[in-house]
Amino acid sequence: MKTRRLPYVRNQTLLFAGLALFTFINLVPLIWAALTSVKNPADAFTVPPTIIFEPTITYHREVWLDRGFVHYLINSLIVSAGTMLISVPIGSLAAYALSRMPQRRASPVLFGLFTIRMFPHMLLAIPFFVMGSFLNMIDTYPLLILALVAINQPFTIWLMYSFFLDIPRDLDEAAAIDGCNLWQTFRIVILPLARPGLTVAALFSLLLSYNEFLFALVLTGIRTKTLPVAIASFGGEDVSDWSISAAGAIGIMLPIVLIMLFVQRHLVRGLTIGAVKG
Amino acid sequence: MRWQRGLWLFLVPSFGLMTLVLLWPLGYAAYLSTFDYHLGSPGMHFVGLANYAQLLSEARFWQSLWTTIGIALGSVAVEFTSGFALALALYRLTFSVRAFMILLFLPHIITPVVATLFLKWILTSNWGLIDATLLTFNVNPPDWLGNPIWARICVVLADAWIFTPFVMLVLYAALQTLDQAQIEAAKIDGAGGWRIVRHIVLPSLVPVIVFTVSVRLMDVFRFFDTIYVLTGGGPGTATETITMYTYQLGFQLLQVGKASALGIITLVIVAAIIAAFSGILQRGYGRSS
Repeated sequence: MKTRRLPYVRNQTLLFAGLALFTFINLVPLIWAALTSVKNPADAFTVPPTIIFEPTITYHREVWLDRGFVHYLINSLIVSAGTMLISVPIGSLAAYALSRMPQRRASPVLFGLFTIRMFPHMLLAIPFFVMGSFLNMIDTYPLLILALVAINQPFTIWLMYSFFLDIPRDLDEAAAIDGCNLWQTFRIVILPLARPGLTVAALFSLLLSYNEFLFALVLTGIRTKTLPVAIASFGGEDVSDWSISAAGAIGIMLPIVLIMLFVQRHLVRGLTIGAVKG
Repeated sequence: MRWQRGLWLFLVPSFGLMTLVLLWPLGYAAYLSTFDYHLGSPGMHFVGLANYAQLLSEARFWQSLWTTIGIALGSVAVEFTSGFALALALYRLTFSVRAFMILLFLPHIITPVVATLFLKWILTSNWGLIDATLLTFNVNPPDWLGNPIWARICVVLADAWIFTPFVMLVLYAALQTLDQAQIEAAKIDGAGGWRIVRHIVLPSLVPVIVFTVSVRLMDVFRFFDTIYVLTGGGPGTATETITMYTYQLGFQLLQVGKASALGIITLVIVAAIIAAFSGILQRGYGRSS
């Protein structure tokens, strides 16, 4: 026994060390940005790169307060919350209906939804922009929210469908015998049981709309610009604003890390179903 | 069954919205693609299929198509080798797997624009981390984002940085469903680690691999955020994918008709990929849900 134990411990240690090294190198860009965001310009532009320096949070304060990122954060929150509040309820309704249909009728619909998810978004961005201009809705919240809800639907339906399938149909039938109509069955009996699914769908839908760039870029303007659009136009070129952009980028990232800690147990399910990068 | 009467009404809000917000604009784009239409100028001239003909006879279109295919193949290759290696390593590791998962997953879950900016700050000439480090040792670095070849490589690596975690996760999930008895039997028969991977693990992962490859291929045709931030399609048009070209046409040159035509062409290509993989895709989806 002892002779077999030893290589096991050695292999595990090597594996751990290898993975730790890779993970560290893989995260260097992120760590570097985090360091830059608390550096004074004198420390940010040096050869060789500085690792030990006096940290400052001046730039974090400046980007959010003086450079208007609070405003963009509010825009992002309005758009994400709006998207989630429409997308999850209507997606759940559709998913419930599909989960209670015979499989042979539901699966072509589900495959159709998958096809819709694969639409090139650029193709939609053009007519959205033209129609939005005609309707005078460019740079308003409803237009962007509507677009995001629509592209979010296939994912939400798929995810909720998989949760509803796990709830036995006997419950529906029992509720029907007790005199519930369809809506009551769904609302009183089924929905409470699907609560974990709703949480996951809600968080993923927040994440998708918070991260979305293309539609936000073409459909928003000064008033409704979201965080990704703001940081892209801000942090792209000017090297002198480096610390400020890095502070902005790190700030944008933090809520996502929080959401991820919440959904980590469901990551596999969520991502293999729709891949968050809607 | 009786209790199911009226169930289809539950589909109405969602499918109604998708018809209004996805299918109607799609039809409108098809309509626009037959016009010579510049946004902001008053006239719309019906030109039939002239936009399509013009695109198909244009060098810039073909170049953007080849760039897209090149980036697709390059990034899918990198993502698979590294994603599979990571998935296997995590599968073999018996402790702290979840912590690694979360850390490895960060580049995929954070806002793509932000992730790309992180990479850009590493790659920027002179002051980026790589250049500053190389200059310390008196090595003269190439202009990573200014040289056409290096720019393409950077775009591939950026895509790989963001999407390898996704591939890793899907493959890791698939590894969990492997038949342990078969692996044990092979071990008893004296098969080494590599032979087990080659003859047992890989073959049973084929459906998942095909599914993931096809999803990633279709993704590349929508790939926008990263290129927009990292190179903007440049230098010149070295990293201009079909999507970037459509963006340039529609939102920079405001040639809405021609841009719509290009969008429709992209849709046809993606539809062809879906059709080619559809059988396998349906099975892949059945498995992963």
